[in-house]
Amino acid sequence: MDKKQYTNFGIWGIFILLMGFVVPVFFPAYRVILVTEAIIFSLFAISYNLLLGYAGLLSFGHAMFFGTGAYVTAIALGHIEGLPILGAVFIAILATTATGFIIGSLLLRHKGSYFALLTLAFNALFYVIATKWHSITGGDDGLSVTRPDLSLGFTTLNMSDITTFYYFTLIIVGLAILFCWYFTKTAMGRTVLLIRENEERMKFLGYNTNISRLYLFTFTGALAGFAGSFYALFFQFTSITAISIDMGTAALLMAFIGGTGTFIGPILGAFVYIFLQDFLSDFTDRWPLIMGLIFILMVLYIPGGLSGLFLSIKERLSGRRAATGQTETEGQNR
Amino acid sequence: MSDIPVFFLHGLAYAGLLFLVSSGLTLVFGMMNVLNFAHAAFYMLGAYFSYTVLRITGNFWLSIIICPILLFLIGALVERFLLRRVHAFGHLHELLLTFGLAYIITESVKWIWGNYPLAVSIGGFLSGQVDLFGLTYPIYRLFILLCAVIVGLIMCFVIYKTKVGVIVRAAVNDSEMVNALGINVSSVFMNVFAAGAALSGFAGVIAGPLLTTYPNMANEILIDAFVVIVVGGFGSLGGALLASLIIGELQSFGVLLIPKLSMALIYMLMAAVLVIKPSGLFGEE
Amino acid sequence: MKQAKNILEVRNIHKDFSGLQVLTGVDFTVAENEKHAVIGPNGAGKTTLFNIITGNYKPSSGKIIFKETDVTGKPPHILTRMNMSRSFQITNVFPEMSVFENVRAGVRSRQGLRYNFLKRPERVAGINQKTEDILEQVGLTDVMSEPVSALSYGRQRALEIGITLSTEPELILLDEPTAGMTREETAEAIRMINEVTTGRTLIIIEHDMDVVFSLADTISVLHYGTILASDKPDEIRNDQKVKDAYLGEE
Repeated sequence: MDKKQYTNFGIWGIFILLMGFVVPVFFPAYRVILVTEAIIFSLFAISYNLLLGYAGLLSFGHAMFFGTGAYVTAIALGHIEGLPILGAVFIAILATTATGFIIGSLLLRHKGSYFALLTLAFNALFYVIATKWHSITGGDDGLSVTRPDLSLGFTTLNMSDITTFYYFTLIIVGLAILFCWYFTKTAMGRTVLLIRENEERMKFLGYNTNISRLYLFTFTGALAGFAGSFYALFFQFTSITAISIDMGTAALLMAFIGGTGTFIGPILGAFVYIFLQDFLSDFTDRWPLIMGLIFILMVLYIPGGLSGLFLSIKERLSGRRAATGQTETEGQNR
Repeated sequence: MSDIPVFFLHGLAYAGLLFLVSSGLTLVFGMMNVLNFAHAAFYMLGAYFSYTVLRITGNFWLSIIICPILLFLIGALVERFLLRRVHAFGHLHELLLTFGLAYIITESVKWIWGNYPLAVSIGGFLSGQVDLFGLTYPIYRLFILLCAVIVGLIMCFVIYKTKVGVIVRAAVNDSEMVNALGINVSSVFMNVFAAGAALSGFAGVIAGPLLTTYPNMANEILIDAFVVIVVGGFGSLGGALLASLIIGELQSFGVLLIPKLSMALIYMLMAAVLVIKPSGLFGEE
Repeated sequence: MKQAKNILEVRNIHKDFSGLQVLTGVDFTVAENEKHAVIGPNGAGKTTLFNIITGNYKPSSGKIIFKETDVTGKPPHILTRMNMSRSFQITNVFPEMSVFENVRAGVRSRQGLRYNFLKRPERVAGINQKTEDILEQVGLTDVMSEPVSALSYGRQRALEIGITLSTEPELILLDEPTAGMTREETAEAIRMINEVTTGRTLIIIEHDMDVVFSLADTISVLHYGTILASDKPDEIRNDQKVKDAYLGEE
């Protein structure tokens, strides 16, 4: 809410990044792989939360960008000889930016339930296309992806090495996450919050709120495509799972469990989700059910998510009245 | 092309199912301003409950009566103890709650009944064929159509001819006004929500023997029902009816004419409506 | 008599809401730098008229001419960019944001910093200074980093005016700025409104006749959807039709 809180989150962000650098030193390869996955999903969940937490827009179609990013990466690497790894990521971002703009133009007048419904329907369309357009997407079989090595001029980094790919992901995706954090402080970032708070007044201050929503939708789509591109590189495979509605749901669960009211909430949520999934699936096949129950209980009792819970505990400890949800995104989505 | 009447009837039967599901969805939305993502999960529960009732009793007519009643109760409980609870947190939380419910119901169904299709056979004369204008046609599809018409007529009667209907229509138009009139809106809400669940469950029961009963059936009809609402216009029963017919026929003839694109057709229709008339065919600006 | 240039012309505006006729032919003009009051009983359609002038509603028929341009049916954000600004009868601010951010939203909009993905508003020259100036004008400097929800009602009304000023408008429309205020608060608000609207055109909806007659150089009386009279305060005071319909009821 105030500037100090932002700075705190900034310091936290840098601290988390530094922590990230020592992960491969202390943890076995198996854990490093999980952390790599969690970093990629952190970006996905953050891009989702820029819609949900910051703009108050509930989307069930975020996987259409994630999946498009993954497919475009796979297709680009499969069809363009000698395409560098970052080139593929860049193409994926361009493609999802265009996708976001086109779909966003159809949605821009709608908010609330209608927006949620339409995003779901459009995601279903993307899913159908990915399933049916076998010659390009491989249909149900999916596409395999070969990670090209990264040439830095003086040396070449072997991307099939787990640790090297981890650092690559940490730096590139980490930069994207930092940019998202910076975005929340820019003119556009503030505009998004102000529109959620009082759209009518924003119109009377000269803001075209539909255009603003379109820009945000396109931006978050590009970010989800960015994450999707790394998802394809990470699994070295792209399948219809990446573009299914369930994938968008995963982003929703991560953002909500971590807390939609703070910037780092979705990162927290992504790590909890990935590690809980890994842990639970050792014992039971029913982990989605458990995840769903956790989600419902949080909707009913802890709407601020884990980070909201921590903040209110902290405030209670420091003797102040717990202003529930009075966090970075200015309160819960009323 | 003697196929055409057959595909037309197929389309009508699916339109009937769609109307049963989407009419409840659109009424609940119009009244309570809650888009119920769990609505199609009620439909799926109807089909699975029916499967179990049939396994135990073997009596389809019994299951047609029992299952909607069960879903009415479930709907009432969901509205009273879950939805009403999060109402104060705002619109977004209501959506999230119904979505979470749908998620849990789907996962529970996978757990209890297994993550694979179940065959529901009903036997008796319903599973037979009938000669219709010189072609043989399955009786069951005609039965579905008949059910949809009967339920549709009952619904029209309730909504346009009874006192409850007046309140429902007023609430769709302006829920604050109904509140101001001192009518016990919360009990009306609960009953309409539960009735919507029962209708959806009923659709599930009769859909079971026609379509496969499997855990993704909820998602599939949910998306179709959403398209019905977008095309027909939010909160409009007439719109839901017309859009159900259009989409039912579009699905049916799409398979016949352009099988590869058939599934994408309805989304193209939806996109076209969004561009031309964003509020839907019967929607108000 | 040579008139000053008209900044706003309202021509034969009709508005009905699904059959209910609220405005049935409203005509009046506002000259540059005029202080124009719109009075009339509750339900006369004053706020509806504001909503039509500012682009919130489309009129059923009729024209709005603003700065010699036909702006009928133009959306609010376009009219705002043409230097028209309004306040609301029911406080319409950003309650969870700081007072400063509330006003800055309009200031940066005027400077074209609306959707910039790279610039932070506080780093752009002039925005902070301008925001502070406006807060000073409406007397909210001491609470500028407080969230709006922590402010008293009277100060929220002052912020309402501050936000209205933040886009540097030529034409300001104030919808009952003193509604719900105590006598002292009203007096202070009127003094402030007089000050901040110097050199600008003002249209004000107001119920308090003392305020109206002390502030306005022209008064339009809106009665059941139409303008009964639009003239100088003294003429209005002596107008028999107005007396019969409205002032006499006081």
